[in-house]
Amino acid sequence: MRIKALLKGDISFQYKYGFYFLYIFFSAIYIGLLFTLPESWRGEAALLMIFTDPAALGLYFMGAIILLEKSERVLDSIAISPVKPVEYVLSKLLSISIISTVVGILIGMAGGVISNVFYFCAGVFLGSFLFSAVGLIIAANIPTLNAFIIATIPASFFISVPAIAYLFGVKKAWMILHPGVSMIELCTSGQNALPALLVLIAWTALLFLLSSQVVRRMLLSVGGVKL
Amino acid sequence: MRRSLRQSFGIFISQITKDSMLLVVCIAPILAACFFRFGIPIIEQQLTVYLHEPTILTPYYLLFDLFLSMLTPYMFCFASAMVMLTEYDENMTSYLAVTPIGKKGYMVSRLVFPAAISFLGSVLLLLYFSLTEWSMTMIVLMCLLTSLASIAVALLVFSVSHNRVEGVAMSKLSGLMMLGLPVPFFVLSSAQYLFAFLPSFWIAKLSLEQDLLYFIPALLTSLIWIWLLYRKFERKL
Repeated sequence: MRIKALLKGDISFQYKYGFYFLYIFFSAIYIGLLFTLPESWRGEAALLMIFTDPAALGLYFMGAIILLEKSERVLDSIAISPVKPVEYVLSKLLSISIISTVVGILIGMAGGVISNVFYFCAGVFLGSFLFSAVGLIIAANIPTLNAFIIATIPASFFISVPAIAYLFGVKKAWMILHPGVSMIELCTSGQNALPALLVLIAWTALLFLLSSQVVRRMLLSVGGVKL
Repeated sequence: MRRSLRQSFGIFISQITKDSMLLVVCIAPILAACFFRFGIPIIEQQLTVYLHEPTILTPYYLLFDLFLSMLTPYMFCFASAMVMLTEYDENMTSYLAVTPIGKKGYMVSRLVFPAAISFLGSVLLLLYFSLTEWSMTMIVLMCLLTSLASIAVALLVFSVSHNRVEGVAMSKLSGLMMLGLPVPFFVLSSAQYLFAFLPSFWIAKLSLEQDLLYFIPALLTSLIWIWLLYRKFERKL
């Protein structure tokens, strides 16, 4: 029940601050851009767009969301409410992953890359969940937006570079152990899609647990004192 | 007034020094410049051999230079917009606006000073790292225009948003202000004038056609954006 209320709150927060409008707008731009490209490029281009934007949405926005909640004392209220850190994290990550998945499907359909709907949706959803969890871990201990942006650079570099290399042909089977690569493998429904799904689930679960731990510590220290 | 402006700018610099953003906005354009200057010709060489074409990227070297001239002021003003959003959320902006700095002084110390510094950085980068030939007059004009356009972008991010989250969303959207740069290179019909409201479009036209007349719309579009957004900025504070 609490998770439902949290999720509703997060979704209305994201709606109010224009996430939905922004991503409707960006989807239209991305899809328009896809149709200006030669047909043979569209698949890779669509995957690159999905991977670097809607899937990475949480990594980009989480700093601003957490810092705003801190400055508006939302976290203080959460800290003294019965809400558990796991529920707080789950709601944040789920609400963002919903937007990512919908936008991902739209771009994927326009690019003609969805060959297996289940694998594709799982790839975008879990990828977004993972990116958002990383964003949350970074955001929990960061004082300013600029510091957050800088701190996300190595994380996005680590996740994106092998994935983009894999997308453009550096294909070694062991690479699917990497979270970004496993997401690409899933979205393309490659030969190793099933192992990639298991790998991505494992990474996502690990980062979800880590982010819950970090949020637990953050909620214990809001307001300048240790609760 | 001058002293308070200096102090306000000092606060801004110390803020971006503390969170290492200053280091990033100084180093990133240099790294990008090195990549453009030395990496792009190598990639071009490889591509032409691989695809058996005489040229692939060479016709767009000027576009790389344009991005280079935009990069330094854009990054400085972006960092500045992020600082302003934080200050606004923490109610610091209203306090600063009622000190001798005032609203105009706040904007000058947060946007005009960083843009002026980045203007110099941008001139140096174009002077030493450009892929195409530039006259000194053109470099100065171009960097002046890109600095003004960057002020407009930062003002857009700050003035339109009500808090950090909207600000970050706006900053994502504001990247589209750069969209005018590639337009004259790729849209050859008169449909390109659909982008005439963007200063970046006229900046690209000026450099591409080397006609100083284009300096006027480039300057005017930037100033109109700044004027409109400054009015919104004033109302916001």
